[in-house]
Amino acid sequence: MLKRKLFREIGKNLSQFITILLMVMIGVMAYSGIEAYMDGMITAADKFYSENNLQDLNVMGAGFTTEDLDTVKDLPHVRNAERKLVFNAINSDDNDKGFVVSFIESNEISKFYLEEGIPFDANTKGVWVDSWYMRENGLKIGDKIRFKYDSLELEEVIVGSIQVPDHIYDIKDESALLPDHSSFGFVFLSVNEISESYIKEIIMKEAGISNESILNILMPNLDYKTLIPFNYIMVDVDEKENVDSVKNSIEDKIESAQAIIKIEDSLSYSTYQGEIDEGRGFVGIFSGLFLFIAILSVITTMTRVIKKQRIQIGTLKALGFSDLKVQLHYIGYGFWVSLIGACLGLLAGKFFIGSVFMGLEMDFFELPNDGAVMNPLSYLVAALVVLGISFVTYLTCRKQLKENPAETLRIELPKVKSGTLGFTTTSVFKKMKFATKWNIRDVIRNKIRTLTAIVGITGCCVLIVCALGMLNSIDHFIDLQFEELYNFSYRLSLKQDIKTDEIKVLTDEYGDKTSKTLGIEIKDSDGNREANTVFVHDAGDYVRFVDKNNDFMTLDRDDGVYITHKLGENENIKIGDTITWHIYGSKDYYESKVVGYNKDPQTQGVTATRSYIESLGIDYIPDSIYTNIDLSNKKDIPNVELVQDKSNLKENISGMLEMMRSMIVIIIFVAVLLGVIIIYSMSILSYSEKQYQFSTLKVLGFEDSKIRRIFIKQNNWIAIAAIIIGLPLGRGLTSWLFKICIDEKYDIDTHIYFITYLLGAAGTFLVSFVVSAILGRKVNSIDMVSSLKSNE
Amino acid sequence: MKELINFRNVKKTYTVGEKSFDALNGASFSINKGEFVVILGPSGAGKSTILNLLGGMDKATSGEIIIDGKDISKLTSKELTKYRAENIGFIFQFYNILPTLTVLENVELINDIVKKPKPAMEVLKGVGLEAHAGKFPNQLSGGEQQRVSIARAIAKNPLLLLCDEPTGALDSQTGVEVLKLLKAQCGEDANTVVIVTHNSLIAEIADRVIRVKNGKIRSNELNSSPKKIEEVEW
Repeated sequence: MLKRKLFREIGKNLSQFITILLMVMIGVMAYSGIEAYMDGMITAADKFYSENNLQDLNVMGAGFTTEDLDTVKDLPHVRNAERKLVFNAINSDDNDKGFVVSFIESNEISKFYLEEGIPFDANTKGVWVDSWYMRENGLKIGDKIRFKYDSLELEEVIVGSIQVPDHIYDIKDESALLPDHSSFGFVFLSVNEISESYIKEIIMKEAGISNESILNILMPNLDYKTLIPFNYIMVDVDEKENVDSVKNSIEDKIESAQAIIKIEDSLSYSTYQGEIDEGRGFVGIFSGLFLFIAILSVITTMTRVIKKQRIQIGTLKALGFSDLKVQLHYIGYGFWVSLIGACLGLLAGKFFIGSVFMGLEMDFFELPNDGAVMNPLSYLVAALVVLGISFVTYLTCRKQLKENPAETLRIELPKVKSGTLGFTTTSVFKKMKFATKWNIRDVIRNKIRTLTAIVGITGCCVLIVCALGMLNSIDHFIDLQFEELYNFSYRLSLKQDIKTDEIKVLTDEYGDKTSKTLGIEIKDSDGNREANTVFVHDAGDYVRFVDKNNDFMTLDRDDGVYITHKLGENENIKIGDTITWHIYGSKDYYESKVVGYNKDPQTQGVTATRSYIESLGIDYIPDSIYTNIDLSNKKDIPNVELVQDKSNLKENISGMLEMMRSMIVIIIFVAVLLGVIIIYSMSILSYSEKQYQFSTLKVLGFEDSKIRRIFIKQNNWIAIAAIIIGLPLGRGLTSWLFKICIDEKYDIDTHIYFITYLLGAAGTFLVSFVVSAILGRKVNSIDMVSSLKSNE
Repeated sequence: MKELINFRNVKKTYTVGEKSFDALNGASFSINKGEFVVILGPSGAGKSTILNLLGGMDKATSGEIIIDGKDISKLTSKELTKYRAENIGFIFQFYNILPTLTVLENVELINDIVKKPKPAMEVLKGVGLEAHAGKFPNQLSGGEQQRVSIARAIAKNPLLLLCDEPTGALDSQTGVEVLKLLKAQCGEDANTVVIVTHNSLIAEIADRVIRVKNGKIRSNELNSSPKKIEEVEW
């Protein structure tokens, strides 16, 4: 019977209990949902990496021979190794599209996940194509694709649609923020598909031979397959802890190894891992906010329920119900509501947040997955939440429930602690209007209710500012990168093997603003090496630099290197310090003084002038030319690997904003929902507590509009207080999210426009005002006669 | 004495669910200005309904309620608010003073709705509470709280003081003090006081006694020789 009473009472205070239920639900949903998508991602990757044997190391260099491969295979702890030739090719039928092309000898490491078609066989003619590229471009098995690299042009029949573990995240170049599978994919072919003529051409070019007959005379028994310039060796190491020792051994034994990169440092792997880590970062804050509001709601609601049921509690006790039974009955309010909320949260977590986020993430990562996976920890957290809410319910009711029946049956008159309110009867308070004084005292008397409302509305404001702030910051980042730092229209990426005279031809035509990016390793005092790059600057004003305040700066010191602020902060490198570094493929180490900091939103690394690099004895052979000449109709320039149009780069990144915008709509929806729920629930609570006083005012002759204004005034104060707290917190949350959500290589400022703060403040106030105004209309219908029959 | 209230054939029907009942069924009476009137009757007789209708807190189903020459049964809700603000002082059984306002502030509250209220401190002096002006209601006894309620009511200088069981929650000694205070408000040039009660002893001190039963006025008698409060055995 008591249970029936419990559910009827919940029904009578539905809005407050729904708030508790929703907050518990959203909190548990946020936690379990984020955990579910993270676990889904982890499970998918673990399965894909282990079943398809992801390599542990990538050895990069030029012309790895069979002996090199055998040497690697013979090293201790090496389970297997495979060579491949990798380059970026252009789609012959559409120069705007391209591929990472890999010629492989076998497929034991980083094995294909075959969606459709036939498995890899070195003797099979044809090409295995990135399944997402195929889907985006409407390709199917049996179709032909054509691509070219240099003078090599191939036309191949598609024999398989695949996904590959070291290609789950491929971007066209470093300027692309996100993969675009419609214009860029990966393809795999058997090494047998490389034509003899192409290999001969490479050999002749390197040897400076212009006629094939001379080559035939010089190398009469040439087996071209032994001369394929393999530039990768994938290494499968037996145990993770042995990877470093294998890496060191390869460095010692393979002369042609220019860089040895652990798989964890590869773009594909680290980007995916980064996404999982992001979830870890914000799982706490989002679920915590809602659960905190749930706890505050429990305290306010249960205090009110207990107050209202004082006589009932006394009656139950007088009838002979044990204290425990009565206590359990009232704990039941928190327990049942939070139990339903937690169960709904778990379901919504897996099937809504988990699936939606998993879907969003898996739009960027190409790997087979079975969707979100429920983490067992989520059930435990949900159970703890239910127990926690029940315990808070108990603590809230404890004092009243302990009273003896005689005491409880006595009517309790409203208590006003003169000590707490005393100060509001003096000095400035004396001159305040009645409504102001009355509201101040009401707030002081109902601290938890006020705090709950402030926390909820602050959450609303924070979410609005954060959502729009992220958009502003990305806009600002794009402007900084593409309007301020990139002061050119086109960047020509030169081919790796370009000769000095060929560069001269290009610089004569397109200008001499150039740069070179050197792959380096920086060695710290403990001997640990960290991969990085040196951007050698000889691009004049075409590539500009800014300091940490985004003011332009000139990099003109020829006695050392500049490092980015973020690198300096992360590695604790200060101006005046010396860094020790070497270029990949060279064992010569350089010691360079850090002469300044610059800020780079997209890459964290080292920058040096051309003259400084040359003063170290390093040849400056540019790999990029910057120009403002219109190249919109010129995609194929001899000796140029890639022509990058700045406006296209900008457009690509702007595409990412579209996705962000849809996320922002969701966040703002949640913010408004949170605001409405909290203001509505707390206002109902506040209204019902004050109904008797409003009724008295009405009897005394106060007009409805005047009473409404008194009621709305308090909510307006709460909204203003929440806005004052929420605006800076919104900025803080944006910065924090950028810190944990954006890859380490980015240094994106939190840049929130004034209009965003204005919108955040106005939006929050509007939500609060509209809800209060709607509730304020209840004043019109106060029935003075019946309201006055009961005391507060 | 000049007639202040004329209650003419007033009917008040309440509907609860599908059932309706008449709280007042053709009640008629009149009250003169400055009288100390007691409306007497058992629970459910309809006396509180009369008080609510006189105070403009509720509207009659039919009939006329003429107060100072004006039929308030025809007033709109907004006009009734104005009527209450300017003409009526209410005193409730459970005081209904605002717990978060001090004694003085509870009286000053009237400044927000009345153009020329009596000075709050002066009124408090009149009810003997000047020393408690800065206290909050829960620091006062029941009788003191009721005196705050009276002070708040008379600060308006109302035409009519309506009291719903004003001594119902008080002990007899305190009740006497409150009644003395209320009696002191009456007079030709002062307020008219209407008390609703089921305590027949109060009728002995009244100028006029109206008896109500089953929604009808049973009698409306002038008390030619009302007793002094001290003469009544409470």
